Amino acid sequence: MNNYIEKNILPLVTKPITYLGNEVNSVHKTPNKDMIRFAFAFPDTYEVGMSHLGMKILYGLLNEEKDIWCERVFAPWVDMEEQLINNDLTLYGLESMMPLNEYDFVGFTLQYEMSFSNILNMLKLSHIALAAADRKEGDPFVIAGGPCAYNPEPLADFIDLFVIGEGEEVILKIMEAYRQWKKASGKRTDFLKTVAGIEGVYVPSLYKVSYDEATGVIVSFLPIVDEAPKTIHKQFIDDLDSSYFPEKIVVSYIETVHDRVSFEIFRGCGRGCRFCQAGMIYRPTREKTVPTIQSKIRALIEATGYDEVSLSSLSTGDYSEIETLIKNLVEEYEDQKVSISLPSLRIDSLSIDMLEEIQKVRKAGLTLAPEAGTQRMRDVINKGVTEENLLDTVRTAFEKGWGHVKLYFMIGLPGETYEDIEGIADLGQKTVDEYMKIDKELRNKSLKVVLSASSFVPKAFTPFQWMGQNTREEFKNKQRHLKASIKDRKISYSWHDSGVSFLEAVFARGDRRLGKVLKRAHEKGCRFDGWGEYFDIEKWTEAFAETGIDPDFYALRNRGYDEILPWDFIDTGVKKSFLKAEAIKAQEALTTPYCPEKCSNCGIMEFKEGWQCHV
Amino acid sequence: MSKIQYRFKRSTALRFLSHLDQQRLFQRAFRRANINIEYSHGFNPHPRMSFALAMSVGLTSDWEYGEVIVTGELDCNDFMTRMNAVLPNGLEIISAKVCDEGTPSLSSLLEKSYYSLKVKLVPEINFERTNQIIKSYLELPVINIQKRNKKGKMVEKDIRPFIESISVNQEDDKNDPINVKMTLVYIEQQCVKPELVLESVNNLNGAIFIIDPTIECHRHKLLLKADF
Ligand code: SF4
Repeated sequence: MNNYIEKNILPLVTKPITYLGNEVNSVHKTPNKDMIRFAFAFPDTYEVGMSHLGMKILYGLLNEEKDIWCERVFAPWVDMEEQLINNDLTLYGLESMMPLNEYDFVGFTLQYEMSFSNILNMLKLSHIALAAADRKEGDPFVIAGGPCAYNPEPLADFIDLFVIGEGEEVILKIMEAYRQWKKASGKRTDFLKTVAGIEGVYVPSLYKVSYDEATGVIVSFLPIVDEAPKTIHKQFIDDLDSSYFPEKIVVSYIETVHDRVSFEIFRGCGRGCRFCQAGMIYRPTREKTVPTIQSKIRALIEATGYDEVSLSSLSTGDYSEIETLIKNLVEEYEDQKVSISLPSLRIDSLSIDMLEEIQKVRKAGLTLAPEAGTQRMRDVINKGVTEENLLDTVRTAFEKGWGHVKLYFMIGLPGETYEDIEGIADLGQKTVDEYMKIDKELRNKSLKVVLSASSFVPKAFTPFQWMGQNTREEFKNKQRHLKASIKDRKISYSWHDSGVSFLEAVFARGDRRLGKVLKRAHEKGCRFDGWGEYFDIEKWTEAFAETGIDPDFYALRNRGYDEILPWDFIDTGVKKSFLKAEAIKAQEALTTPYCPEKCSNCGIMEFKEGWQCHV
Repeated sequence: MSKIQYRFKRSTALRFLSHLDQQRLFQRAFRRANINIEYSHGFNPHPRMSFALAMSVGLTSDWEYGEVIVTGELDCNDFMTRMNAVLPNGLEIISAKVCDEGTPSLSSLLEKSYYSLKVKLVPEINFERTNQIIKSYLELPVINIQKRNKKGKMVEKDIRPFIESISVNQEDDKNDPINVKMTLVYIEQQCVKPELVLESVNNLNGAIFIIDPTIECHRHKLLLKADF
């Protein structure tokens, strides 16, 4: 297969080198019959998937085990897909080029809802039965994890088991169970029942959901076997500092979305922004220490040859020793032409000082996310940023020579009025005014302020999980109003929404009945929904109509606080009562403090015995 | 600071690299090999390294040249061992030499390129016929092709001066693609792509070769005007 594909198929497709799996630091093993074959599947393109940190961790972790070979597979681009189909070939794992249906496990990472159709498409190209119920003895187990696994229900029909939470420890337990099961030559269902008993594992086929016929809401969600627990507890690693992190990561030949060493300095976030799912599900905050970070980064640069390191986290400026860390890194790498980048900085002038420290010469565009236009709205979403913070930040930036500022906002937040929309345009104007106040000699010659607004998608496990999304009509009107409110020609405005955020809202809070829609949309050819050129809202609309499912029920409906939500059986450690209290505070625009300043008892401390935040 | 010129080969495993991919790959390999390279000064510093030729996607080669300016002194054997320890399977440094600052750039020294291509013939055409066609093709004093110039306009270009020789050989298995050997000449750093030569044969004689991306193109040798 290997040679045939190399000679006859790859010359015909774009980016052929991405289908060979021979990158620096890719892992190649000599298989034997006892080896567990694991295909880590990323349901998007190579360039997107290869930028993803979680894949690198699990790839390294699994390959540390002598009897496991973990390989990678990505969604083949449309030209490669066509070649596979026309030549009657099966989608394969990159390293060994073995057909995917011959693996023991195919493990998908769920990063965003809009990749769900790609999962079905990849299963089909792999000749693996789409429905978990149709898989036979000897077929791979299709497993999934990642942030979207916190509401796994829309994928319940297709996935044999989900890992809820941080997978590093759970995945090894699943592998051990598999070894035992193989030795005992058990049945498929035996394996699933066994792993259902592992903390953090959810096997959807072992649960039954019933609905109220009149209203369509869930009336019960219960396990059907003794092995399956009623509640699934998300898993998290207490000691992140000593947790596994690979010394080597695969280096892509082609340019990827984030073509650099991306190193996670802490997990979780204590800001408590109410729209942010990551901020709730990844609690509690856990940091790595400065020496650990430095030595791991050193090893990674040596092993990869990258010339850029990005310090990643949900809010990098919140790392408790950020200044020391940056100072040390700058000192270490100044002469080696390794640059450091800081994504997701907070809005304060301190951030600008940090940026200056790391980018001595180049002043690339500055991106800030005030998220909402008025103070009231920012209080509603608990984004602890004031107008003063923002204007101080841009002023400092302009003084230091920046000229290009991009501001991110969301539209369709709860309780939003037209005044809040105008506030966005106002902030853009005030940003321009700050620039004008600065001496012509000092400031950058050209100014560009970009306002970027996205349609808000309410997510599970956030205080806004009960609210209906704005309708497309409402979004359109608000966008139009915003556009009309912008007067200055130095401000440009960008907005794209082809209906993607509506669909995202459906799946982000969907239940297992959506499996039918997903399957129908897949049959109609939907895939790469996250890629503008392939997203086809018409096909999706037909898929809903033909399966008799009303998407508005999921996207637009306000839920009652006492409704059983499809993801209620998962316990993230943050209590539902806390989320509800936050939702009520939001209605009154009351804020909740930043964790290190004052604990608001979200529940995570009781969730795991012995866990203490900020000690 | 010293300038190192090296010869390297690229085999099947990495033949799909683009020119940019390969540049990035070498840049990272230098870092992994702990070889410090010089950067240009200015607003956006870039590493001082280059290749004699931009290799096209799909090309394998036994004979390519690259050069790099390293900081400090470096022994060329040391350079080779360290680089070959970190280069992925598919790229290998064959030889290297340290040269003076004033040494002319590799691209100004290009003289001849020796290619071998595996090409399928269209079904109606046999090997003997191809052989005759190539013979008479080479007798043409001028071979004009249509080419897009830098401004995007179509212009005529005579490619005959770039062609030194072409020969065709049959493989043992007659169903295999035939082997076309070509020697092409550089004139003022310009040359013609071997696939374009095949295309012009087709244009003058009707379809002979099947020209698509599955043609395997290999460079045996690259001759420079100076000894390396
Ligand atoms: S327990 Fe308190 S400090 Fe810890 S994450 Fe929850 S609110 Fe923050």
